[in-house]
Amino acid sequence: MSDYMIEFVNVTKRYGDIVANEHITLQIKRGELMTLLGPSGCGKTTALRCLTGHNHPDEGRIFIDGQDVTDLPTYKRNLGMVFQNFALFPHMTAFENVEFPLRIRGLSQSERREKVVEALKLVRLEGYGSHFPRQLSGGQQQRIGLARALVYRPSVLLLDEPLSNLDAKLREEMRFEIKDLQVRLGITAVYVTHDQEEALALSDRVAIMNKGRIEQVGTPEEIYERPGSQFVADFIGLSNFLEGTVTAVEGETTYLAVDNLSLGLATTAGARVGQRVLAFVRPNEVELAAPGTMSGPEVLEGVVEKMTYLGDKVDYRLRLGDRLMLRVQSGGTVRFKAGERVAVRLPMERCRVIGGGKA
Amino acid sequence: MMCAMTLVRQYARSVLSAKTLLVYSFLLGFLLYMVTPFLIIFFNSFGKGWYGMRWLPQEWTLNWYQWAIEVADIPEIMKNTLVIAGIAVVISTLIALPTGWALGRRHIPGKELLTALILLPRMIPAITFALGVAKIFYGLHLVDTFLGVALAHVALAAPYAILVLSATFESLDERVLEASAVCGASPAQGFFYVILPLILPGILSSIIFTFTTSYNEFTMTLMTYGPHTVTLPVRTYLAVGEGYWEVSSAMAVILIIPSLFILFLIQRQLQPEKLVGGFKGV
Ligand SMILES: Nc1ncnc2c1ncn2[C@@H]1O[C@H](COP(=O)(O)OP(=O)(O)OP(=O)(O)O)[C@@H](O)[C@H]1O
Ligand SMILES: [Mg+2]
Repeated sequence: MSDYMIEFVNVTKRYGDIVANEHITLQIKRGELMTLLGPSGCGKTTALRCLTGHNHPDEGRIFIDGQDVTDLPTYKRNLGMVFQNFALFPHMTAFENVEFPLRIRGLSQSERREKVVEALKLVRLEGYGSHFPRQLSGGQQQRIGLARALVYRPSVLLLDEPLSNLDAKLREEMRFEIKDLQVRLGITAVYVTHDQEEALALSDRVAIMNKGRIEQVGTPEEIYERPGSQFVADFIGLSNFLEGTVTAVEGETTYLAVDNLSLGLATTAGARVGQRVLAFVRPNEVELAAPGTMSGPEVLEGVVEKMTYLGDKVDYRLRLGDRLMLRVQSGGTVRFKAGERVAVRLPMERCRVIGGGKA
Repeated sequence: MMCAMTLVRQYARSVLSAKTLLVYSFLLGFLLYMVTPFLIIFFNSFGKGWYGMRWLPQEWTLNWYQWAIEVADIPEIMKNTLVIAGIAVVISTLIALPTGWALGRRHIPGKELLTALILLPRMIPAITFALGVAKIFYGLHLVDTFLGVALAHVALAAPYAILVLSATFESLDERVLEASAVCGASPAQGFFYVILPLILPGILSSIIFTFTTSYNEFTMTLMTYGPHTVTLPVRTYLAVGEGYWEVSSAMAVILIIPSLFILFLIQRQLQPEKLVGGFKGV
């Protein structure tokens, strides 16, 4: 038995000149929820369709449960899928929709009945079997879609932006419901979204996609804390990028010239003087204080250009030196107004270096 | 002040009810306008000595029906009419299925122009079109054959069928079909469990439209019929020409029976709004 439930091996898919998937290699473990996350058009749906068999890859192989399924038609792959637009059968009731895969599999009527009732209970829609899809709300339709995808215990559950047609509150509720179901059933799942919050909340691991390629694969914490590229740091959460040249390395501290400012960073292995470096810091990791109240290599001074009150936090746009703009978010009350001077501390251990910086 | 308000409100109400009354009288008038000819034909077919300014015929009789059936050979003519309509339905549907599929589901350059061209036989005056068809059919020896008359009807019926079916196929959601495949349905199972039930109402309405088009058709038949292919509308018209008002009335009543039957079917089985919706503004 293979360790991996799903394997993409060097999969490439083109539409004419567009390379929608480029050399995708990805392994998904048994019982794991893997999210494909990336901006619109980066090839998430394409990758999922290669997995379902609706697309045939131009290059590469795809394995499900150790079996090469690249040339297997969709209906033989034993997959369950939840669609963005629900894709329920409009001429069937909720009960019949959930029953459909069982009917196809030739189960007896009593078996079907038992399993459908159980699946409807699983998604908390016991009383809705006789409703037609058009008589159900979006959230209810999507739960029926979920029940239909799970009722035959497929080897893999696929979800392509299943929540994006629902309102914000329902989206958050169902997020946990889906996660809970996936864990309870121990089913391997591939979840497609462009919502980073959803991805972080749900996933065991996340694959960040950009322009048809996979940029980084890791746990939510890994990709948030240690992004492997500027793209990932930018896409996951808010980031300030600090690009500069190493001027000196003194023990624990590396000094960086960013524009005409000097900034101290925690030293990473292999930092050399003269090297171009790209570091980033999150807006909520930066500390602000009255000018002159903080000192050290990681403290700079700046001016508040713009202050926006956001309720639970305050968003500041600061100008450091001549050109460097810094975004800072701090909780609580408004402490500085536009035009005021502030001291800015960029904590050394929070300013992390990405790769070797841009060329 | 209070009093003035009440007055205003009462006035508004009376205007409203006057409006409602107006709407109803219009509807009633229109209904009368539509139904009166039917009623006259109906009484005419059962009455004897209904001339001048009488409200109702003097005597009731079934003679005219007997004449229609025995002398004018209506059963045979009804058979002709139904066979021709049947052939027209089959041919129209066979043409419309692939054409409707192509128009509804593929991106074809110049789709609008194609649709307009398909509608052409319905746009130009029937008699002009029928004359051209007759000329061609004489050359092909198709005049006075079931196939020939049916083909002439197809020119008018198929455009309806194509429009209805292309709208039906267009509304088929690709992702629903994909969902059926993911659920484990083979292409054949997907067709029978998902596609067919979804397109059946469209196909049924297309059949009903083509059938009634052929069944009611007069002008195209007039230019292509012969002794062996007289249809009911043409026979009714001829009887009027021969001066038998009452007999043609009886034929006209017989003529509407299948239409009523179909209307009843539509009422029971399909929602009429759905059928009309299939036209999408045409
Ligand atoms: N059937 C197709 N024909 C041609 N190009 C396509 C087709 N499907 C997708 N593409 C292109 O392939 C690229 C990847 O598309 P894909 O649908 O996989 O993106 P996505 O990551 O799912 O985006 P979204 O978040 O908007 O759903 C896009 O540039 C898209 O335009
Ligand atoms: Mg997509």
